[in-house]
Amino acid sequence: MSEFRRDRVSGRWVIIAPERAARPTDFPVERRYGVGGFCPFCEGHEDKTPPEVAALRNDSHQANRPGWRVRVVANRFPALRPDSPIEIVGDPACRGMTGFGVHEVIIESPRHILSLNEMDDAGVTDVLRIYQQRLASVRQDSRFLYGMIFKNVGSAAGATVEHSHSQMIGMPVVPEAVRTEVRHARQFNEAAGVCLFCNIIDREVAKGERVIHVGRHCIAIAPYASRFPFETWILPTRHMPHFDDHPAEALGDIALALRTVLNRLDQALETPAYNYLIHTSPLGEKSADYFHWHIEIIPCITKVAGFEWGTGCYINPVLPESAAAFLREASKLGRSASGGRVMSSS
Amino acid sequence: MTIILVVEDDPNQCLLYANEIRGAGYDVVTAHDGREALELVEKARPDLVVMDVSMPGIDGIEAMSRMLARDHKLPIILNTAYATYRESFRSWSADAYVVKSSDLTELKNTIKKVLESRSRPAAPAGA
Repeated sequence: MSEFRRDRVSGRWVIIAPERAARPTDFPVERRYGVGGFCPFCEGHEDKTPPEVAALRNDSHQANRPGWRVRVVANRFPALRPDSPIEIVGDPACRGMTGFGVHEVIIESPRHILSLNEMDDAGVTDVLRIYQQRLASVRQDSRFLYGMIFKNVGSAAGATVEHSHSQMIGMPVVPEAVRTEVRHARQFNEAAGVCLFCNIIDREVAKGERVIHVGRHCIAIAPYASRFPFETWILPTRHMPHFDDHPAEALGDIALALRTVLNRLDQALETPAYNYLIHTSPLGEKSADYFHWHIEIIPCITKVAGFEWGTGCYINPVLPESAAAFLREASKLGRSASGGRVMSSS
Repeated sequence: MTIILVVEDDPNQCLLYANEIRGAGYDVVTAHDGREALELVEKARPDLVVMDVSMPGIDGIEAMSRMLARDHKLPIILNTAYATYRESFRSWSADAYVVKSSDLTELKNTIKKVLESRSRPAAPAGA
């Protein structure tokens, strides 16, 4: 039996229409795979990228030379440019803006790995730390209103190079998807007097059926109105609007949760292509009382097609409760399909 | 003399590029697909490759990737009718990206610039 569910954060309707499959993973999955060849992101090939804007290094190795753990470079062919003026273009009927912004690429490892979960927890913590640095850098500049960190893994997820990397686009506008989340969070806060996301965490922990992982500083859940099969959100249990403000001592636990979820998705879906993104508070927003940063992880399983484009409403063939149960069970199955060790401690 | 390998699947364009680049004072060898280019890069030992991207079989980005896996110092210019291949991070491996035009001045200037930059001592990191 299918049912409509409404996501309280986005306001989006989802149709949950479970298939009569033996297992929730019994459908074709867009997998990620390596093809090899020369990689411009590998250590030793620093001359193939624009000069780095930030890096984490083990010692005093020179910039743009080997010896880095995480490296950030400007996109060689950026969607937005920091040297562009900020000017309104067009007329009142077709209003636009010049393409000001920053577009950075975060190269997550000097090794040629295909997914973040092939790194250890310290490596993933480094990546989260540099995400914070890059968001903080655009937040200091009042011309930027939003910084979006996102990751594409596998060609089906939009990745054009297999070496594990993320991107940050800093913009002088707040994207509509984020604006809508902020509005719903504010409305909930005004009505209920508590943070919408904190309320979701409390309810999910109490109910338990959509919980995938519980850490010391965060929780991973299959959202009640998941748009996609095995969609997973990681929410910090401490209320914090801006990701870059999150205390450093919690990053290791959040890295563990991220790696755990990705390992379990690999186990359950045999190394799917996936995207993740960080929704953090708009940079200039005084949203301390009501917004709550979080990570959304989306394995590439179903296609967005005519119905979804036309309605903004998604059809999800996997019950989120089944997905969560399957991912909880994945922790007991041992080694993942990618060869990574599935976390047994959680 | 400096040898340029031109990789281009359209025979007329290939002839045009070869003639123009020869006219600029270089030796030219040509290949009509990625596989032939991979063979020729071993035999002819070019100093620079001008690589089309959209080709049947092994495309230009894949051929470039395989060439650089063997010799990552080989200068390669991607020469394509499409600007959209810039969106692929694999295109970063190229020394330059030229969008095809009937006027080959930009391509010839880029060949000169890339060869000059390779003949100079490496600039300090980050410069």
